[in-house]
Amino acid sequence: MQNLNLESLKKMFALAASTISENEAELCRLDAACGDGDHGVAIKGALCAAHEALQSAADLKNGICDAGFAAMSNSNGSTSSIYGSLLMGVSDGVKDGAESLSAEELASAFQAGLDSMRATVKGDVGDKTVFDALIPAIEAMRGANSVSELFERAAAAAKKGAESTRNLRARFGRAHNLAEKSVGTLDPGAVSNAMIF
Amino acid sequence: MKMKKFINNPENLAVELLEGMAAAYADKIKLEDGKIVARAKPKAQDKVAVITLGGAGHEPALSGFVGEGMLDASVVGDIFAAPNAPAVLNALRKFKRDAGILLVVLNHAGDVMSSNMAMKMAQREGIKVKPVLVAEDISAGLDAPKADRRGLAGCIPLIKVAGAAAEEGKSLDEVCRIAESFNSKIATLAVAMTGCTHPQNGTPISELADDEMEIGMGQHGEGGGGRTKILTADETAKTMFKNLAKALGVKSGDRLFVIINGTGASSPMELAVVFRAVKKCAEEIGAAVAGGIIDELLTVQEMAGYQMILCVLDAESEKYLKAKSNAPYWTCLGE
Repeated sequence: MQNLNLESLKKMFALAASTISENEAELCRLDAACGDGDHGVAIKGALCAAHEALQSAADLKNGICDAGFAAMSNSNGSTSSIYGSLLMGVSDGVKDGAESLSAEELASAFQAGLDSMRATVKGDVGDKTVFDALIPAIEAMRGANSVSELFERAAAAAKKGAESTRNLRARFGRAHNLAEKSVGTLDPGAVSNAMIF
Repeated sequence: MKMKKFINNPENLAVELLEGMAAAYADKIKLEDGKIVARAKPKAQDKVAVITLGGAGHEPALSGFVGEGMLDASVVGDIFAAPNAPAVLNALRKFKRDAGILLVVLNHAGDVMSSNMAMKMAQREGIKVKPVLVAEDISAGLDAPKADRRGLAGCIPLIKVAGAAAEEGKSLDEVCRIAESFNSKIATLAVAMTGCTHPQNGTPISELADDEMEIGMGQHGEGGGGRTKILTADETAKTMFKNLAKALGVKSGDRLFVIINGTGASSPMELAVVFRAVKKCAEEIGAAVAGGIIDELLTVQEMAGYQMILCVLDAESEKYLKAKSNAPYWTCLGE
């Protein structure tokens, strides 16, 4: 895929929603190690709502914004704010009426999404949160020659980032109170992010 | 997974419990738009509204403290999960007024994100709202920055003080000042003998060995690190009191308000024994216990343990703390 259009975006969200749904129990199990065991439910709620909102979208910019608002409105806890602000920020980075996005345009839209999310959500690489997967994924998008390559690079970087959380000590969210105990477990938010890419 | 709880479909748990509370205390509270608990008789428009947000599963907190002299509304998320930003924005729109809104936020990642986003959107619409962040847990260490401290049951006396000031007709700036002043004089430490289970998925949270307890346990079972063999009530209370008194700089002559908040499975008998210990500890350093509460205000499912909340009083906070309230679960004080 050279460029991204609305139809292919819809397919990607359908795939992401079904992957997350299949892994709901596994994500809850990961979360129970250092959280309260509900991450699978929250991320499934957010992704399924985003997917549904996108199906009735007529264009890319508004579709992504609606998906973000739906993710925020149909889930609870941090997950709703994280994915809601990310998608709504990505939408801000897409031109009005754009019918398709080149790899370069998509990478800069994701960067806008990340910037907007970071205005609300604290954290950085190394804090054992979703950022450990998301930041390297968005950085890896830069310089991709096609949209397919962009998502391949992002997926690989997100997966590597999620794996890296195993040896980190949590600094944010509920898990940070478990401090040393969190070392040795994967961060569920980072893992679900890697699944989405 | 084995879990012994009286529940129906776990997905409906938060709504069902709120419907139950609203039905029992229909003369005082009502349920709006699904998961906003509001007063049955709204406060006059010319007074500051006091609103809070948070996950469910900690009943009676926070919704049980909606009522005259305390909250105007509580915005509820799901079990142990903050409400999303649009839900908080919806409540801010409902309570929009010239007098303004005080939003009481407990320092937990989800609550802070949702309230920040909601306030940003509300302010864009011209809604006057100011936050007060409750972060009175000292388990992260006495020198830990505020961002690293959690908001625990100390939010309840804070809501009482802010709510009474708002009821009296103070301006938003005044209510904020009174709330922040009291906020700097509350400290909380929790102790747990057992973990608890997440009531929606049965996941055991923070398991403790039969002979262990943990000082610093959070209100979702997140650990605080201070695991020891089980100590007596007096020994436990003494350790906790010492740290709380140090955090607040309690000195001889200070008047204290003490809350021993049961987290679900410790009996009123045990909590009373603990309160007695705290009074003795306070007297040893020349401080007086001027009032207190032994109750379950904010629970953590079936966790055995309690949160010890220490407040250093001044004339202003004592007046508001002891003012009348008809919130269904504020049963302890007031004439």
